[in-house]
Amino acid sequence: MQNANNSKPVIKCESVYKIFGPNAKKLLDDSNGKVDAKAFQEAGCIVGVNNASLEVYKGEMLVVMGLSGSGKSTLLRCISRLTESTSGKIYIDGEDLNAMNSKELIELRRNKMGMVFQNFALLPHKTVLENIAFPLQVKGMATKESVNKAMEMVELVGLKGRENYFPRELSGGQQQRVGIARSLAVEPDIWFLDEPFSALDPLIRKEMQDEFLRLQGVLNKTIMFITHDFDEALRLADRIAIMKDGIIEQLDTPDNIVLNPATDYVKKFTKDVPREKILKIESIMDPPDGNNSNSLKISKDAIIQTVAESILNSKEPISVIDPKNNQVVGTLYPSKVIKVLFGH
Amino acid sequence: MKVRNSIVGLIATLVIALSSFANIAKAASSDPIRIPVLNWSSQVVMANVIAQVYEELGYNVELVPAESASRYEAVRVGDLHLAHETWQSTMAKPMYEAMDKGGLIDAGSHAAPTLEDMGVPNWVIEQDLCPGLPAWEALKDCSANFATADSEGKGRWLEGPQEWHGDVMPNRLKGLGLDDKWTVKFAGSADALWAELAAAKKEGRGTVIFNWTPNFTDAEGFTFIKFPTFYQGCRIEDGGSVETTGCGSPIGWLKKAANIKFPLTHPSAYKFLTKMEATAGQIGEMANNVDNLGMTHADAATAFITNNRSAVDQWLK
Amino acid sequence: MINNLKNSRPMQFGLLILVFLFFYFIIPHSENNYLWRFPPLFKGFPLFINNLIYNALYEWFPLKVWDPVFEMYEDKPIFREVTRAISRGVLFLIVFIREIFLGGAQTIGVFVDGSWMSANKWFTWPALPWTVVVAGFMLIGMQLQGIRLALLAGIGAFYLSFFGQWQPSMQTLSFVLITAPICFIFGLSLGIWGYLNNKVENALQPILNIAQTMPHFSFLVPVMILFGIGDHAGAIATIIFATPPMVRLTILGLKKISPEVVESGLMSGCNKFQLLFKVLIPTARTDILIGVNQVIMQCLAMTVIASFIGAKGLGFNLKLALNSLKIGKAAEIGICIVIIAVVLDKFSLAWANKQKNYFANLNFFQRNKNLIYFVVILIIGSVFAYLGSLYFNNINYLYLIPYEKGFSISPLIDSAVDWVWETFFYYLNSFNIFLITNVLVPMKNAYLGMPVISTFILVMGVGYIIGGIRSAVIVGLLILFIALSEYWDRALITAYMATFAVLISAVIGLVVGSICAQNSKSTKFMLFICDFFQTFPSFVYLIPVILLFGITDTSVLLAAIVYATIPATRYTIEGLRSVPLSLHEAGSMSGVSRLQRWTNIEIPLAFPHIMLGINQTVIFSLFMVILGALIGTEDLGQVIMGALSRSDGAGVALTLGIFVSFMCLAVDHLIRTWADRQKKLLGIE
Repeated sequence: MQNANNSKPVIKCESVYKIFGPNAKKLLDDSNGKVDAKAFQEAGCIVGVNNASLEVYKGEMLVVMGLSGSGKSTLLRCISRLTESTSGKIYIDGEDLNAMNSKELIELRRNKMGMVFQNFALLPHKTVLENIAFPLQVKGMATKESVNKAMEMVELVGLKGRENYFPRELSGGQQQRVGIARSLAVEPDIWFLDEPFSALDPLIRKEMQDEFLRLQGVLNKTIMFITHDFDEALRLADRIAIMKDGIIEQLDTPDNIVLNPATDYVKKFTKDVPREKILKIESIMDPPDGNNSNSLKISKDAIIQTVAESILNSKEPISVIDPKNNQVVGTLYPSKVIKVLFGH
Repeated sequence: MKVRNSIVGLIATLVIALSSFANIAKAASSDPIRIPVLNWSSQVVMANVIAQVYEELGYNVELVPAESASRYEAVRVGDLHLAHETWQSTMAKPMYEAMDKGGLIDAGSHAAPTLEDMGVPNWVIEQDLCPGLPAWEALKDCSANFATADSEGKGRWLEGPQEWHGDVMPNRLKGLGLDDKWTVKFAGSADALWAELAAAKKEGRGTVIFNWTPNFTDAEGFTFIKFPTFYQGCRIEDGGSVETTGCGSPIGWLKKAANIKFPLTHPSAYKFLTKMEATAGQIGEMANNVDNLGMTHADAATAFITNNRSAVDQWLK
Repeated sequence: MINNLKNSRPMQFGLLILVFLFFYFIIPHSENNYLWRFPPLFKGFPLFINNLIYNALYEWFPLKVWDPVFEMYEDKPIFREVTRAISRGVLFLIVFIREIFLGGAQTIGVFVDGSWMSANKWFTWPALPWTVVVAGFMLIGMQLQGIRLALLAGIGAFYLSFFGQWQPSMQTLSFVLITAPICFIFGLSLGIWGYLNNKVENALQPILNIAQTMPHFSFLVPVMILFGIGDHAGAIATIIFATPPMVRLTILGLKKISPEVVESGLMSGCNKFQLLFKVLIPTARTDILIGVNQVIMQCLAMTVIASFIGAKGLGFNLKLALNSLKIGKAAEIGICIVIIAVVLDKFSLAWANKQKNYFANLNFFQRNKNLIYFVVILIIGSVFAYLGSLYFNNINYLYLIPYEKGFSISPLIDSAVDWVWETFFYYLNSFNIFLITNVLVPMKNAYLGMPVISTFILVMGVGYIIGGIRSAVIVGLLILFIALSEYWDRALITAYMATFAVLISAVIGLVVGSICAQNSKSTKFMLFICDFFQTFPSFVYLIPVILLFGITDTSVLLAAIVYATIPATRYTIEGLRSVPLSLHEAGSMSGVSRLQRWTNIEIPLAFPHIMLGINQTVIFSLFMVILGALIGTEDLGQVIMGALSRSDGAGVALTLGIFVSFMCLAVDHLIRTWADRQKKLLGIE
């Protein structure tokens, strides 16, 4: 985890509200921060985001998970200021987003932000190459330069040879690759992805997730990723925020969410999750006990399932090491693995 | 008041600036003479004749497509310089109305007498569809031969568009006591009249139709019905009574009109226009060159001028 | 019972019709009974309008202008001076383009001293040899798309020259090359404004309807006085008429854009202008391009009407040919108009779809090869034209084939018309008599026998059922304005003809459109037919129609149906084709039959677009019914035509024009309200 607490968050939200409807602002002011969705609905307003606070650190991937209507996309749009939040503060690199004028906002988007959309949102009249070059040309980059840069992006997302195709000539997965390439063309620090893989087939989705992890490994962006798929969230996230009715129910690491769901609602998601596929050794190890005779050593970042067989074969406690420096950081008792695998 | 003046001033400046930039119409004398061309042959050929003569005189000429009734308004405000073929029965009204408003002057009549009235194509007489024609009394007994689907069993008179003569023809039917046997249908345009003539001929069916002479239909043969003689005031519109309104059409004139400034800006052109007195034969020749000899309108005009050089020279004197 | 009535539309309509019929038969037909006919309280309205126009045109804010002829100051109304200045600008542009094709000295004359010009008559800009223009057309086609478009354009242009219509064609072309872009820019700007601002959109709708439905003859005189007579006046009238569909389709297209695309543009860092011009407009281009197609079609459809107030070119020649019943000649000219329309339409489409190759490493010659070819052809063509002038004595066929000195197949067409007449006339005639005696005359009498009160009950009742009290009042007021005039009976006749034409056209359009939308080949073919009949001047087939059906309502209605079926068909096809394939498949998978799919999936989804088409059908058929005055009718159109020669004509024509527009607006309001409701029900939008 990179959220070293001494570094400043790249994205910071403080009590963000988004209420749709007439008189939203007034109703919110009257409610003293206690927003009751039902009461608001009777007044003709719909609560999109309800008192959301979060921080995302440099290089971190925050996945916002929620079912449709949970306000996750609205939250993302508040943070990208595609909609104006009704109340609350949002800081990007410490700067107050809502205080920016449109010129500053445009500058911010041109240089710091990239976004991928659920239905790709490609411009139908532009080729792959032109779509990717578009944000660069909007910035005022010369055609030739922008096209060369876009070509690099085409190669990065593996679409070489298709650069002169129109979006309608591509499959969904390919279209989303274009969307990804476009959002990365300006080399943004912050990367927003709004259910990028939801419109794709499961197989393609898996492939795209791998691709996405590969890219993130190379690029190391600060990411806010929206999804309604809990498995996807677990797979990708550094931390997960689970939303319901505009409220963030829990914001934590995947392991903690699975092991300690904060609310009943979160529990519903974690209940059926195969833990051995999610949890890392780190989350079930005990402190090192020093006199460990077992020659078997495993990495603290290993997923339980992948190493379960060898652990169960060994019967004795095993040393857990940090793969970075080969130092022993803990001890693993096989009984704990059995507990994870076969329940309580 | 001050604001108003400054606005007017601003617009005036703007207008002058704009006009001077794109002023295709230059000073009055080098201004091309704009002659309306309408949609029938003799008129277009005559426009070309006038244009060619004016070019001989050293003027620039522009032929402008126009519409017969509305062109007088254009002549009046100076957008067109002249209107050279004005038929009494169909165009007198708009011409005199423009004259009332000021700006349009009468530039004399052609020599050709005109007749515009109801009549039948000659085959109607040849096939004896209405024995006794061209005397109007014959109409009393043959209306059934001229009935159509929408005429409710009566014979049909196909009159020109209603704006040409208003209710003259319905009144005439009443005046002659024919209105229980005949009804008037107004055609929408001259084109419709000619189409009806052609259709009736193909079908071999009788038709009583409004027409005039000189016209291209003269070649096919057309007989005007002889109605009671016209005299001033016989029609209801002119103060007559039902008893007298059955009178036929008068022998009409064919006039020329011009914009009031035309004599000053283009004096010799105006003089030619007033002196030009085309005869029925000459107008027939103009139409014939196009309609039957297949010339283009410009060629027909050239041929006409060559053929009638002495007459044209007379008009130029 | 009451509850049932509240929920059941059919029952409501049933009750309405009962009430309507009750009053229909109970009210005595007497001129003194105000329930039979309203008193003409607004009788003075045309005169009032006339005085208003007269004042604006002749007396309002006179400017003192020095008149060099009479050597005195002359009062010129400011309004007219402004419009005249606009005219001069438009005319300058048209003449400029025209002289590129045909040569002349007027454009240069603007910049050079007049006396020098008259002293040096030899000085005129030469026309481009027609061979060069044909080659130029081909090169543009080549540049924009490829050999197919090049051939189409080349053959089209060759036809224009070969059939001796070169000069009028180039006159018309120059006219359209100026008016169409103006319509496009106007339409697009207004459409964008309407998209951005709801109030503007609501204000635009009736204005668009009035502009599109106002019969041409009703504003011919005012336009002529304001803008003068000539190509410029024709251009202004054309612009008034051809811009509305562009505005409508722009708004429609922009509204269809998914919010995600807008967001993606914003996130790419677009400012407002970039968002508009690089994201919104290009994304809405399918509809905008239909708009462009409509602009081009309407501009060319107007060529004949525009020639009433001075537009030179094909329209005028066509009118002339028809007057002497030269149907073959007129058809040839009509085809020229269609050719220009089709070629321009294809050019604009190809231009919009043109793809750029960023990586082709081209040298100067390759990049400009078509331009270089053109220069070479220009030189060769000029040399040939010069040689031609030595070789031919009279007409230089290599330079410019003069009007009507080309080839002609008009005798062939004429004999074809004769053949049709001889083959079909007697069948058609008995059909015609049947139709008139059994359908049209009874229908007309039924309309005329309708007491004014029951008309209002019917119209306002329908308004109430569809859109509540608000619609009832709107529709009622629109009709009241007509009912209080002295032209109510004529308006009823117009209504009867329009109703008949709309019903038939809508049915034909829906059926033909649905059948042709089944595959892309038939779609293409049908859209071409639509383009053909929209631009092929209706005047041409008016004459054969009169030959076959006489001067009767049948002829007028036939012409109206031919014209009004176009939008019904076109919009049905386009609407159906835009239903996503996935939904077709979803339908097929849920086991619906072909017919069920059509009624349950395709038609509802294509519904908004089809309703737009029906709306246009109403407008088109009223347009043609009014134009039917040229054949001979007894409705409002006849008075509008006749108003041309009346002293208070401008007022009468405009008032009656407004009547026609109001009828359109009433229908438009009902259709729109109903469509909106229906859309909400279906969850579209």
